[in-house]
Formats: sequence, structure tokens, C-alpha cells
Amino acid sequence: MTKIKRRTFVGLAAATTTALSMPSIAFGALPRVVVIGGGAGGATAAKYIAKDSKGAIDVTLVEASKRYYTCFFSNLYLGDFRAYGSIGHNYYGLAVNHGVNMVHEWALSVNNAAKKVNLGSGESISYDKLVISPGIDLKFESVNGYSAEAQSKMPHAWKSGTQVQLLKNQVKGMKKGGTFVMVPPPNPYRCPPGPYERVSMIAHQFKKSNPTAKIVILDPKNKFSKQGLFMEGWQKHYPGMIEWISAETHGGIKKINAATMEFETDLDTFKADAASVVPAQRAGRIAMNAGVNKGDWCPIVPASMQAQADENIYVLGDASIAKSMPKSGFSANSQAKVAANHIRGSLTGSKVFTPRFANTCWSLVATNDGIKVGANYKATAEKIDKTSGFISKTGEDSNLRKATYEESIGWYSGITSDMFS
Amino acid sequence: MKSKLVLLSIVFSLIFTNSIFADPKQLVGADANYGEHLFGECVTCHNSTGLGKGIPKITGMKTSQFITKILAYKSKEKENAVMQMVAERLGEEEINSLALYLSKLK
Repeated sequence: MTKIKRRTFVGLAAATTTALSMPSIAFGALPRVVVIGGGAGGATAAKYIAKDSKGAIDVTLVEASKRYYTCFFSNLYLGDFRAYGSIGHNYYGLAVNHGVNMVHEWALSVNNAAKKVNLGSGESISYDKLVISPGIDLKFESVNGYSAEAQSKMPHAWKSGTQVQLLKNQVKGMKKGGTFVMVPPPNPYRCPPGPYERVSMIAHQFKKSNPTAKIVILDPKNKFSKQGLFMEGWQKHYPGMIEWISAETHGGIKKINAATMEFETDLDTFKADAASVVPAQRAGRIAMNAGVNKGDWCPIVPASMQAQADENIYVLGDASIAKSMPKSGFSANSQAKVAANHIRGSLTGSKVFTPRFANTCWSLVATNDGIKVGANYKATAEKIDKTSGFISKTGEDSNLRKATYEESIGWYSGITSDMFS
Repeated sequence: MKSKLVLLSIVFSLIFTNSIFADPKQLVGADANYGEHLFGECVTCHNSTGLGKGIPKITGMKTSQFITKILAYKSKEKENAVMQMVAERLGEEEINSLALYLSKLK
């Protein structure tokens, strides 16, 4: 059987349980990699391991969703700059172009000693190397009064999908001249500029159809990502609409009430007509189950992204402690390529190159007003260390801001193509 | 048919480029495998299928053109914060390896 035929067969067999029960017999001595989570970390890792090994490694990607809605650019959907369908992607390219065995199930648990992943269906898959890239879980209890039940009244919308659609509907339907309350999460969390880009996009909606509406940000922090740039943009595009209240000013959110839409702080009790509450976060549960976490997040070996607790497991993206990289899709994609190169090297003896990490985060403040922050990183013994970086400047020319926005559109097209095709 | 076209395009590009860097054989320290690995960093933003808007397509770029542009970002003559940062940590071996790999792409 030729390599092409074999890879085609694996692709066609995607998502069937037959493929799960037979691999060690059908594919003989091929080393096996299982990837849990099909986002920016996991999809990229699965693709690069399969693509670069040219059939020498059997790659299975376990991802419950058949259609994946990116968190990045979900704010642009809120602001009507993107259609919902345009942030959804499927795994056809990974299965068909790269022979990744797609298993659309939940990974329930990891048996480290037996090197097996147990699935929701009761099946299990063996691995030689396991990549865990589960993203975040929300710590609902971190905000007193918030819960999985309350999320439909005050959407967190921090994992894209239906929650973002719901939030947009609530923003558009908010009463004229009403108040929107945004509660950003405490550090560390997925997408540091995200809550403030979200506020910008909601303000953009209000400016069009509800110009007397107000937005109050009750922040558990005293400063935030790209603060000067956002503050300048809010003043310029949405004067008088947005009030950011720092933790030291409001003294902490004591309690929220989803039924009455009230936010109790030391400073005052705020009544909202619509709201978004993004609680504190931790690594996806499967990482805890695999025992590769230390507290809420997973320590990694900077040069390879291997879990410090288990050399056969790699942890990518938001779930990892990849200090000083932020938790972003770009970071996860960058880390995935480092891990893929290391995994391939350890399983097939291919060359392992010096790890190179990078990140850039673009945010949209208003129409054609894009800003960005980015950095290069290298692995040291202790951490993924920043070696150089940049950030947009206040007072930049409008043509540059427009070019930055257009660059972000290009990046979205690039990274999603890199992940899924 | 397809391989003849590829061959023709390689011959064409070798004839019509005019820089010392143009001939991939003269790229000092170049390693196509390393170039392919480094290219992973490019395609996070540069759509490998060339459909991207707002970020130019780099596949199919002439070797000499690629090197000239990267060096211009490295010296900060050419503006773009992301590309200046990318170019900053590319040494001769990296640039030439990328150039060699790019010259092999359609």
C-alpha cells in the first residue's frame, strides 16, 4: 500500500469507531500521537505532525465539535464586522489533506501509565505522545452570584459559539439609553485585550442604534492590556459612553444578581440592562485529569512544551504556563509548531530545531481603527522569555490604523488556513 | 504535465532574476528543511493558499525579491512593526534557508 493510499484511508475512516479499535493492528509499528482539542494549539499540532512526518506518524485529533467557532474575531462578529459563519471552520482539510484521524468525541480521562485516552463513547486510544490543548474552563464561582445558570442572562461569551450570538442579541435588544455592564476576568486569562475590544465593538453598535446608552466596566484589575490605546480610542470614537472603573476604585465586586441584573460593589450598586461577565479561568479539565497541572494551569518545559509532570504529554496554548507569552490563538499556534517539531524528532529521529516563539494580538477599536501588540520569545531553562516586542502608538495616523485593521483580516485568513487546511 | 510546468517555471526564474542571491545554489548556509520549518512562522499570517487580504502572498516570490524585502525590514527601512520584528531575529542562514525553500514552492 502506498503512503498516499494509506493516508487517504485514514482520512476516510475519520470519526468511525472502527478506526479507533483497529489502529495498532492496521498500522503496525507506526508511532502514535493523540491530540486533545482542535483549536489554535491542537489543530496546528495535529496538522504539522501529520504533514511533516509524511505518513511516518499516526495522528488522531480528539475534538467534540464538528464545526469550530474561533474565539478570535468573535468580537468582530459582535460589532458587525464579520458574519457568524465566517468564524466557523471544519476539519475536512486535516482529515483529507493530511490524513489526521478525526475523532469527534470528548476525551474524558487520561491513563498516563497505560498511555491511553478514554473517550466519552467508552472507547480508548493509545498514544506514544499525547498533546493536550483543551483551552480554558471557566471558574464561575470566582464571581459571587455567577453560575452556569446565570450565563444566559449575563453571557461570558468567552468560548465563542452560541454564547457570543446570545450576547450580540442582548446588546442589540438593550433598551434605549440603558446601561451595559462588562466584568472582565482577573489575570491570567485568555486573550488579554479581548474584554476591551469587546467593549469597543459593543460601543460601536450603540453608537449606530442606541447612542445614549452607557457602558460601565467593573474591572477586577487596576490596569489592562493596550490600556492607553483603548482609552484614547474610546474618547475619540465614543466620547462619554464608556466608564472604566478599576478594582481600587470600586473596591471589588461583592455580589451579582442575575435575576435583578445588579452588581454590588463597595463604591455603589450598579444596575444593568444587559451585561457580560467573564469569570476567572483555569486549564481545561482534561489537563487536571492527566495530572499535568499545578493549580489552575500546567507548567511546561519551555524548549519543547512538554508537561513538567509527564514527558510523554505536551500542553499547548491557554492551558499552559507559557510565561511570558500571553494566552492567545497566535501563541498557541506558535507553541504547536515547536511541540510538533519536538514530537516528530523524538518519534522518528528527525532534526529538532531551536525553538522560536512569537505572538501578535490585533484589536479593533472602531471602523478602520486597528491596534496591535507583539513580541518574539526564546526558550530559557526557566521560561519562554521575551526577546523583543512592539505596540501601536497613541496618536497614530489613520492610514496606519486602517492598514493594521486590514492586516488583522489577513492574519485571520492566514492562521485559520494554517490550522484547518 | 504538471512537473514540466514546474521545471519550466524554475528555469524561467533562474534566467530572469538578476541578483547574486538569485541562484538558490549560491545561498550560503541554506538548508531547505530548515527553511520549511521556519516557513511555519510565516504562514501564521501569510495565507499559504494566497487568498489572504491585507497581508501579501509570499509564495511564488522571487528569491532576490524575498531577500531584498527581508533585509529592508531588518534594517527598518521598510515599515511594518510585525515584519520588522520577524526580520530582526533572522540571520543569514535563516534568510537563505527560507529563500531556498520559497524558491522550491510553486
